[in-house]
Amino acid sequence: MKTATALRALVAGIALTLAVSACGGSPTANNQNTTGGGPTAAEKVYTEIAGLSGKQRRDKLVELAEKEGTLDLYTSMTSDVADVVSGAFMDAFKVDVNVYRAGSETVLQRILQEQGARFHGNDVVETNATELFALNKEGMLAKYEGERRNMVPEAGRFDGWTATRFNLFAPSWNTKAVPAGQQPKSWEELTDPKWDGKLSMEVADYDWYLTLYGYWKKQGKSDADIDKLFADMAKGAKIVKGHTVQGELLSAGQFSVVASNYSYIVERAKLKGAPVDYLPFVQPVIARPNGLGLMKTAKHPAAAMLFADWLLEEGQKLLAKEGLTPAIVEGNDPLKGVQIIPVDVKALLEQGGEWSKRYEKVVSGGEQVADK
Amino acid sequence: MTTASPAVPATGATATKRWRRWLPTPKLIITVGVAGAIGYLALVPLYYLIWGTFFDAKGFSLGGFGRAYGDERVGELIANSLWFAIGAAALSLVVGTALAYLNVRTDVPFKALFFAASIIPLIIPGILYTIAWIFLASPEIGLINKVLEPIFGPGLFDVFTVRGMIWVEGLHLSPIVFLLMVATFRSMDPSLEESALMCGASRWQVFRKITVPLTRPAIVAAVLIMTVRSLESFEVPALLGLQNGIYVFTSRIYFVLRTYPPDLAAAGSLASGLLVIAMVGVAISNIVSRSGKSFQTVTGKGFRPRAMELGRWRPVMGSAIVVYFFLTVVAPLLVLLYTSLLRFYQPPSVAAFKSMSLENYRQLVHLSQAATALKNSLFLGVATATLVMAAMAIAAWIVVRSRIPGRQLVDQFAFVPLVIPGLVLGLALSFVYLRSPVPIYGTIFILLIAYCTRYMPYGMRYAVTSMHQIASELEESAQVSGASWWQTFRRVLLPLLAPGLLAGWIYILVVSFRELSSSILLYSPGNEVLSILIFEQYENGQFTVLSALGVVMVLTLVVLVTVGYKLGAKVGLRQD
Repeated sequence: MKTATALRALVAGIALTLAVSACGGSPTANNQNTTGGGPTAAEKVYTEIAGLSGKQRRDKLVELAEKEGTLDLYTSMTSDVADVVSGAFMDAFKVDVNVYRAGSETVLQRILQEQGARFHGNDVVETNATELFALNKEGMLAKYEGERRNMVPEAGRFDGWTATRFNLFAPSWNTKAVPAGQQPKSWEELTDPKWDGKLSMEVADYDWYLTLYGYWKKQGKSDADIDKLFADMAKGAKIVKGHTVQGELLSAGQFSVVASNYSYIVERAKLKGAPVDYLPFVQPVIARPNGLGLMKTAKHPAAAMLFADWLLEEGQKLLAKEGLTPAIVEGNDPLKGVQIIPVDVKALLEQGGEWSKRYEKVVSGGEQVADK
Repeated sequence: MTTASPAVPATGATATKRWRRWLPTPKLIITVGVAGAIGYLALVPLYYLIWGTFFDAKGFSLGGFGRAYGDERVGELIANSLWFAIGAAALSLVVGTALAYLNVRTDVPFKALFFAASIIPLIIPGILYTIAWIFLASPEIGLINKVLEPIFGPGLFDVFTVRGMIWVEGLHLSPIVFLLMVATFRSMDPSLEESALMCGASRWQVFRKITVPLTRPAIVAAVLIMTVRSLESFEVPALLGLQNGIYVFTSRIYFVLRTYPPDLAAAGSLASGLLVIAMVGVAISNIVSRSGKSFQTVTGKGFRPRAMELGRWRPVMGSAIVVYFFLTVVAPLLVLLYTSLLRFYQPPSVAAFKSMSLENYRQLVHLSQAATALKNSLFLGVATATLVMAAMAIAAWIVVRSRIPGRQLVDQFAFVPLVIPGLVLGLALSFVYLRSPVPIYGTIFILLIAYCTRYMPYGMRYAVTSMHQIASELEESAQVSGASWWQTFRRVLLPLLAPGLLAGWIYILVVSFRELSSSILLYSPGNEVLSILIFEQYENGQFTVLSALGVVMVLTLVVLVTVGYKLGAKVGLRQD
């Protein structure tokens, strides 16, 4: 009798759980266009301010933003940079910044989940290109206009988001293992058998892969040639997960050359005195934009827009000081004369899965990649 | 009280009695509450996972299985995974059991070292432990290889092989087995072994024929958890396997979740595969342990666990322990300590030692949120460990002792979260609590729920294993003497279960400090935890600061666990 009651209660509990979760519809389906039809309250603020410029715009934004008092920022900047940026913003204005920080995929997942439930957790998102593209595709990012945005090079202005900085992919090497003058001078040189067992590649750099592939294709190389180049590069290569581990192991001498690390990671190790270098650049340098988007559902739209303006003006100098490559170049360009090609973000988003699989094949034992 | 004594029916009171029969007893409330909580915690992510696996925008689909398992090298992947998982499970089982046996049942020297040896590998974050081993045993830069080079030639050890992976994973996992087996050995009546010895059996025969069979439920539990854990483990295969192209099956979960939109169907298909293995494992473990009385060593007959004298083996075992302690604790910890004093990692040299400073520790002190994170992690660790072990003690009673139909379901449900990837758990929880009227999302309690879900399986194994050892005659005598179910549970069972519950409590406390994959999605500004800080230092490329943080964490938890252990030693079975 008692046991039957217990069982019944258990079954009822389970049924209730299922019913409650089922009410929300399919939990894994993406909710598109959560904002519905007309412009949101935040969008109205963005449009109103977009007409203003210069001091007038800044004054108006500061007045409104300080009235709002708070800014909720979701970002995938590393915490040291995020701390500097949010600290400087709070020093400049009477606005509290709440920072949620995680890897770019996690930031994306969090926003998708929250927006799907009409929970408006953030005003601004600052993250990688791929994730910003995805958010824009979901219709969650608002239009951002202004003179600072117009100063960003064309390769950094997208629908719904604006580049704030670039991550540069370039080969780097251990200066103890590779004497001056012996370092690779072109991407093709990485395929040299002398690097077998000494070169490291990262397991997930398919954005770098697809861009270099496209570049070589434009140079007139055939698919078969390019596949062979990558296969030769991967032959005997040491595959590592994570750019930071890769940088650390390069300093320690676990391998001599890294194909596609971020230049800023190497730069920081170099500043600490580690025997590593990436200069002179192997060209073309491949640049992946990171940027910022304003949320359509922002609870603090003026603070969001102020942050965007500020990050593209005062913030750019801060980013440069932290060793990053800012999107807007004013005055002396440290990358003057260096050929830079942006990552093909469109291909990344539309055929990312396919390129990811192809790259996985390249790095898994250097087999010849099958024809497309 | 459920077994009410036959009362003499008084006509006037019959109506009240009938009414009272429908009032829930404490036993009913507690058991239903615990079973309901387990069902709820397990079903939320399971439902999400299953939905994501079998349904896409167009309806029912099995495409995820194709994408997950349809790789031309799937055979190789499975072979690598099994070899790695079974190897690591076997290594951790042998090492953990041997250490636990020596510690509890013999007069081996250096017992104080055991405690450190059993806990410290657990505390060091997986990524740091693995990297420490790269610095120790890489053929190119490994310190051990450099030391042995004059004798054996270059590159004697290679950590970037399946064997190397088994070594690192097995050592990192062995504390789980150690804690589980210590609890088991502590509740074992040595008289059985002594009788065998009297009858002329050798020590080895006694161990094989008496000790091992008696601890079968614990061994099965250990094998089960270890195998599933190694099948799922990511850090070791990612850092050690990839370098030479050794792919294991579960690295694929990482690949399929990395893309946008994350391929939940493929990740779910992989997790379902693990789920089947785990379910079969739980069922087998129940059948094996079913033979009822044969494992009950804590009976109505009083006993005193007494240490066995090792005789001339004592120095041998003593040195074995020192070697083990050196390998699992001292060497990796020294590498961390050494790295934490440098500006960047470099092999030891005069210049390296000259450049040493406490700069990384200074940075640590100035880390924003370090104090908040420590406080939050402490709260979450202690709360999760206490809640889980309390609930699992009841759950273990339901599964092992009660005759409630469907009790096996409780066991199965409690095991489910072990196979659910952390990210999927995070997604499922945020999905539910973003829509819940109770404002849990954005508070620290959503992390508490996540942690309780993730660590339930371990708590359950610890509790069930201990429950199998306690004979029902003790409860029966308590009930005969008029104790209620709750009194019996509290005054008889809980103290007897204490060694197992304490071991589980320590384990959960320690590992909850490391939980990252669901924390990172669910935390909110102000609710940061230590593992997130570690992840950030890792992302910043601050390995030296990270090592300093690792050293500080080891010290904090060692103090904490020692206090817990000392307090815990006051309850439960007394030893000589």
